[in-house]
Amino acid sequence: MNDHRKHDLNDNQYDFGTDANVVPPDDPAFDAWVAKAAPALNAPRSDVPRAEMWEAIQAARRTSEDAQAGKVRGVTPIPRAPWRLLSVIAAALLIGVALDRVFLHKADRPVPPVAAVPSRADSSDPARLYRMAAAQTLTQAEALLTAYRAGGTAERDPVMARQLGTWGRQVLSSTRLLIDSPAGDDPQLRALFNDLELVLVQIIQLSGAPLDPSDRALIDRALESKDLLPRIRTAVPAGVAAAGSAD
Amino acid sequence: METEGTLSLERANQLDDQRAQPERANERALIEGARRGDPSAHRALYDTHVDRVYRLAHRLTGVEHLAREVTQDTFVRAFAGIEGFRGDSAFGTWLHQIAVSLSLNEIKRQKRERARNAPLDDAMALGEHTAPSDPVLREKLMQAVNDLPEGCRTVFMMHDAEGYTHQEIAAALGVTEGTSKAQLARARGKLRVALAQFAGEWKP
Repeated sequence: MNDHRKHDLNDNQYDFGTDANVVPPDDPAFDAWVAKAAPALNAPRSDVPRAEMWEAIQAARRTSEDAQAGKVRGVTPIPRAPWRLLSVIAAALLIGVALDRVFLHKADRPVPPVAAVPSRADSSDPARLYRMAAAQTLTQAEALLTAYRAGGTAERDPVMARQLGTWGRQVLSSTRLLIDSPAGDDPQLRALFNDLELVLVQIIQLSGAPLDPSDRALIDRALESKDLLPRIRTAVPAGVAAAGSAD
Repeated sequence: METEGTLSLERANQLDDQRAQPERANERALIEGARRGDPSAHRALYDTHVDRVYRLAHRLTGVEHLAREVTQDTFVRAFAGIEGFRGDSAFGTWLHQIAVSLSLNEIKRQKRERARNAPLDDAMALGEHTAPSDPVLREKLMQAVNDLPEGCRTVFMMHDAEGYTHQEIAAALGVTEGTSKAQLARARGKLRVALAQFAGEWKP
């Protein structure tokens, strides 16, 4: 029973605590009391806001579909075709080198830890290759989003806005390939790429013209609500470490 | 005793299965429609499941606007990924899996930001019926629930607060029913320890 439970707990994604296998004795009086009290915890106060949520869902789907259909200026749709892993690895690494040269040195920003990414791209393990490409893409995404956030006056600088747009399109291509990859079986990483995709589309969509404060607020809100940068920063070392440990 | 209880549960499940067959057929048709991009199928699936998804998100996040965001994201992701829904579980179970995952991400984000400055009442809406009357006890209970390990807290909130069965919890979290029961017992045990100073409230 204990072995079975341990196996079960280790096989899922939830944190049950360090003493997960220690089950205390029952106290029927307390159990009955807490079972009565619990329905009041975090109970919704009002009716379910069905109509408002449906509107928001429809709006989010329209944005995504427009981007896919090429209706968003500056976003080139890519077919959600069967994925070719090696081409993504190559594309991600090439984009990484190019962006590093064009943007990161120019911005005099500390070089991202590309050296930490294992260079043995000839491995035949798809999961390892996927993690390498994911780490590379997320590193670039972090640099892009940091540059976007640091650009306090970028909304008045059309050149900077265009550069961000170009950069964003390249990172978006890698992101979409990684989303479509069958090797991407980590639901948290996939969710992160989905959120990143939406923010990148917004940055690209608004890069063709100087950003006004409301445009920028829209992107900032998306960045904030999805907690994107901290999640990327958390995911990158994990991805690199996992790739490295596969050696 | 346990065997008898198990048998009656099985019989009840069989009866439920028989009653649920037409609903499942209808849901399969709606899922097929949603895959073809039929907006009315999307809407029907939304109408069928939104209440429960929202309530679950609200129970887990404790904040209305987060519950809305989680619910919206759950349906956006489900509709975007409906091609990948294989039907191994019920559609509702799949939605609950997504909602739990998104809710827990939100909770982690909240913890990281340490932005819980809202008064406790914002995070704990009290019903008229069964809430402890002592505000200190209410606060301690909510705090103790929030201090539970993530999986333990999720099981407790789904079972004791929202009334999910262990079978439903097991399906939504991808664990066994035994684990769900054990984690509920752990949650209650930890809460009992955390609230020991209020033992007079429940001891006869």
